[in-house]
Amino acid sequence: MKRFSRWLIPILPIPALALLAFGLTRDVQVLPSAIVGEAAPEFHLETMDGDSLRLATLDAQVVVLNFWASWCIPCRQEHPALVRATEVYDESDVRVLGVLYQDTPEGAERFMARFGGEWETVLDPGTRTAIDFGVYGVPETFFIDGDRRIAYKHIGPLSWEILQTKVDSLLAGGGA
Amino acid sequence: MSEAELDQMAAEVAAQLRCPVCRNQSVLESSSGLAREMQSVVRDRLAAGETPEEVRAYFVGRYGDWILLKPEPKGINLLVYLLPAAALLFGGVLLYYRIRRWTGATAPRPEEGLAGLETPDADPAPTEEARAAESTSPDANEGLSEEEEEWIRQQIGSLG
Repeated sequence: MKRFSRWLIPILPIPALALLAFGLTRDVQVLPSAIVGEAAPEFHLETMDGDSLRLATLDAQVVVLNFWASWCIPCRQEHPALVRATEVYDESDVRVLGVLYQDTPEGAERFMARFGGEWETVLDPGTRTAIDFGVYGVPETFFIDGDRRIAYKHIGPLSWEILQTKVDSLLAGGGA
Repeated sequence: MSEAELDQMAAEVAAQLRCPVCRNQSVLESSSGLAREMQSVVRDRLAAGETPEEVRAYFVGRYGDWILLKPEPKGINLLVYLLPAAALLFGGVLLYYRIRRWTGATAPRPEEGLAGLETPDADPAPTEEARAAESTSPDANEGLSEEEEEWIRQQIGSLG
């Protein structure tokens, strides 16, 4: 017992300290997502122009689904990357689609008029689609592959580099 | 199910879900827009005939176990439930052996019992008579030196 406890007692706190160190060095902003790798939840929503849109009817190889709001400051920061994506990629390859998050269509129209961009945004009354996708806040972007599976989820403002890397790897047929 | 029962059940489920915006508040307590929408999702799903377990499973499927304020006791989550009990048990066992060792070092050995406290050559406690005799005995001052005795005599003399 004596020899056993002489070694055991100094060693015992090590796993506890390791666990504590692991917990304290993790980024609290990085949240788990249960939905990456799963089939994208289907939605049938109205666009800002009044058209009806279903995810299943989109024929692009990659869908970049961007949850955003006109009141969201980081959304302004990432906006040029989305504009560039619509300019660089053909719409049959990559379809950028916005989902308005807790915002009014008028606010969204003013935002698009001010910052530019031609892609469609669907309205999400009751935030149901955002909850279906497990959205925590805006901006959040989902990269949906040809099988309509969520290949990658990006929390926070997108950069062109991230967007390009993810889209290109999906276009090349690989997972993001 | 009545409206009041439905509200009650929806509140119970919402109280178990973490608000994705406030993080340390439940969906029931939070006043954020997303939490309010989640509350109505909970209510609508229950109204459509889902059980509370199915509604919880829907949110776990979207947000992961993180969405539950109280993690399910399975897999790695079991650590949260078992580790404190295991640590307490281990501490208790350790303390038991420690205390046994500490008390064992000073207390009599069990086989000696109370008799072990009495050593054979120990002086028996003095009786009343013996103590009275001692105090009046002429030998009571045997510890004093001759100088001290002389000094005492002088003091007595000066008093007279």
